[in-house]
Parts: sequence; C-alpha cells; structure tokens
Amino acid sequence: MANYHPNDELLMSFAAGQLADALGLMVACHVESCPKCAEKVRNFESLGGDILNQCSEEVVSDSLLDETWAKIEMFERNKVSQESFEKAANEKRVNIPRPMRRFIKEDFDQLDWSGFSKNIQEVNLNIDDERYTTKLYRIKAGSKLPEHTHKGTEYTLVMQGSFSDKSCKYNQGDFILADENTKHQPQASADADCICLAVMDAPLKMTGFFGRMLNPFLR
Amino acid sequence: MNALLDKKAKVSLVKPRGTSASSSNKGRVLAQKEPNELNQFLIRIGESKDRQAFVDLFKATSSRLKAFAMQCGASSADAEELLQECMIIVWRKAHTFKPESGSAITWLYTIVRNKRIDMARKSRHETVQSDDLWAEEGSEELEAQISGEMEGKTARGMLKHLPEVQKQVVFKVYFEGKSHSEIAADLDLPLGTIKSRLRLAMKKLENVAKEQMSWLIIILMMNF
Repeated sequence: MANYHPNDELLMSFAAGQLADALGLMVACHVESCPKCAEKVRNFESLGGDILNQCSEEVVSDSLLDETWAKIEMFERNKVSQESFEKAANEKRVNIPRPMRRFIKEDFDQLDWSGFSKNIQEVNLNIDDERYTTKLYRIKAGSKLPEHTHKGTEYTLVMQGSFSDKSCKYNQGDFILADENTKHQPQASADADCICLAVMDAPLKMTGFFGRMLNPFLR
Repeated sequence: MNALLDKKAKVSLVKPRGTSASSSNKGRVLAQKEPNELNQFLIRIGESKDRQAFVDLFKATSSRLKAFAMQCGASSADAEELLQECMIIVWRKAHTFKPESGSAITWLYTIVRNKRIDMARKSRHETVQSDDLWAEEGSEELEAQISGEMEGKTARGMLKHLPEVQKQVVFKVYFEGKSHSEIAADLDLPLGTIKSRLRLAMKKLENVAKEQMSWLIIILMMNF
C-alpha cells in the first residue's frame, strides 16, 4: 500500500473535475490503488454534491425534456452494438493501471524504450496536453541514477518495482512531488526494474496554469 | 427580495410538457426537503426503467444542473446541452448508482463533472477523458475498503459548516478550476491567505466527516 500520496489540494481539484490532464491521470492511477485517497476523493465529491445542491435554479427550456426523450429513444434503438465494443477494449493488460490503458497501448516490455544508457530508459507518452509532458522511465534493477535536481515541478508515480534515495524508499503506487529544491540520486531496488510515470511542466508552452483545458466551454 | 420573488416566479414556469402541475411541484419540494426521494427516483429508473421516475428526477434536478453548468462558465445553450447529456447518462446508467456508497445528488454531481470534461473533447482521441479518470463502476475491492461514506450519509451537508470566505475559495476551485495563485490574484489577497483558507476549509471538512463518522459508529454500536 502506498506511503506517499497526492496532497489534499490535488485531490480536491481532481474531485472537482479540474485535473483533466496528464496529472489527473496520475492522480487517478494512485487513487485507484489507495483506499485512503479514494476516501478523500469521495468526500470531496460529496462536497461537490453539496455545491450542486445549493446552486440557484436556472430556467430550463420547456422543450428540453421532450428532446431528451427523443435522444434516449434513439439511443435505445442503437444500444446493442455499442456496449459490447466498449467493454472488450479495456479488459486486457492487467499490469497497466486502468487510467493509463488508452495511452500505454502495449505491455511495458513491448514499448519503444530508448535512452543513452541501458540503465535508464524512457518512452514519451502521447497525451495531448498543453501543460504537461508525460514519460515513462525504466531504471534497471539495482542501478543508480546520477545525482540531479529538477527544473520546475515534476510528479512521479511508481508503477512497478521500487526505488530509494537517501531519505526514503518508494514502492508501487507511491506519488512523489519533486521541484527545484529536490536534489537526489534514486536507485532502483536490486530485485526488479523500476518503472515510473513522470509528469512534468511542458517546456515552452506557458498557457497559464491549467491552460485552456480548464474551461471546456471556451471553445 | 424582489429578485428572490422573481426567481421563484421563473422557477414555477419550469414545467416540462405533458405532466401535471401537481406532480411537478411534488418533485421539487421533495428534492429539497427529502434528498432520499432522489435516491428512490434513481433506483426506480435503474431497476425498471421507470419513465415517471425519470420525469420526476428531471424536474427535481434540471434547473440546478443547468445552474451548475452556467457557474462553470457555460452559456445557457451549452448548459442545456450538457444537462441533456447528463440526463441521457442518468437513464442509461442509473443501475450503477449504489445508495450505500453515496447520495443521489453526489452521483449526479459526478455525472455533470464528467460530462463537462467530455463535451469539449468528443473528437480528440489523445486527450484525457472522464472515463480514464473515473472507472464506470469502482472496483469492488476498493469499495469494500472505503469506510468513509457508510450508508451514504457521511460528509453530506458539509458546505454549511464552512465560513463564507472559505466557501468562496472552494467555489473557485470547483467552478473555475483556479489555482491558488490565480485565486489570490482574483481576490487581491496574498497567496498565503488563500492557501491557509483552503487548508482550514479542508481541515473543517475532514473534522465534519470524522464527527459524522463517529456518530455513525456510536449508533451502529448501540444497535448491536
């Protein structure tokens, strides 16, 4: 079970539906395997329910209910073909956390790993996201990375294996935040390769905090 | 006061065709006074595709769902499109609503939250979509481990425990997705003040949730 968690601010933004980006995927991966954080998200969703409940009322067009029935009837007619499709696509590849399955299309071993050293390799994940760059890292069992700091903010989620730096050991499911002040030299445990998901500020694309994805109505 | 009366007058016009005024009012009043009625509507839709329950639920919640969308920045027309999408999901997925793991209004909240994300992204495969972030049905194993919402009653009504200034910051997170520094700029306050308001709000919510939990535990213990 994870020992390192996303902070409450992130969990609240996630529950508010305001982290619909690579960072949100990472939080989702953690939450799926962490009952503690799942419970917090639940509570923030309840708060969302409260907020919805107290919304002042807006007049809804008279015709909307009838129009909705018409759409529902159309849907009911086409139902069978759709649902069986949706299910089949998602059942495979159990070692990839569910939130990442659309973006990591193969098992870890079959991915197109690259890197100048055999000890540390990476794959860029193709997620259309203005704010973040997303990568997978694989550190070979037992090997040590050179000591480094971070430019900007970098979030890391351990997806497989474990690594440690001088102060801590991070296991599968742990969610780690590193920034300019973090200086470390991670080492993968000897027993297995360590695979991490990393989300970092995308270079050269300063579009304000969450970029324009924030408000999908600004199309 | 006039504004309030105006609003009430408008709301009473919200009556979808083909149903009597009395059932329309009933839906609304029950929704406010007795949230459990919403649970019943959802259960009936889920179990037997009960069309009357759907109409009642639509009437009881549509104007709030629309208002929520508009507070997130949608135009009236976009908000109605979103509302309609949500109601279609309600019809299709009501059977996945589990009263034991949360209230009906929270379930509706998660639907409008998710649909809002997806509305802008239908055509773009490489963007994050709501069903990546939240599984359609939570895993049974995880459900069993979450003790937080026993009987679906915990953590409800939390908002009223928050002072205005904290509420304001929470709204900015939920409706506008603002970062702490953006909220600070909006309200012309130091970043530290915003951070501490949110921290206090979260502490408060946590305590409320815990308090409700301990009452639940006491009640449960007394029953056994």
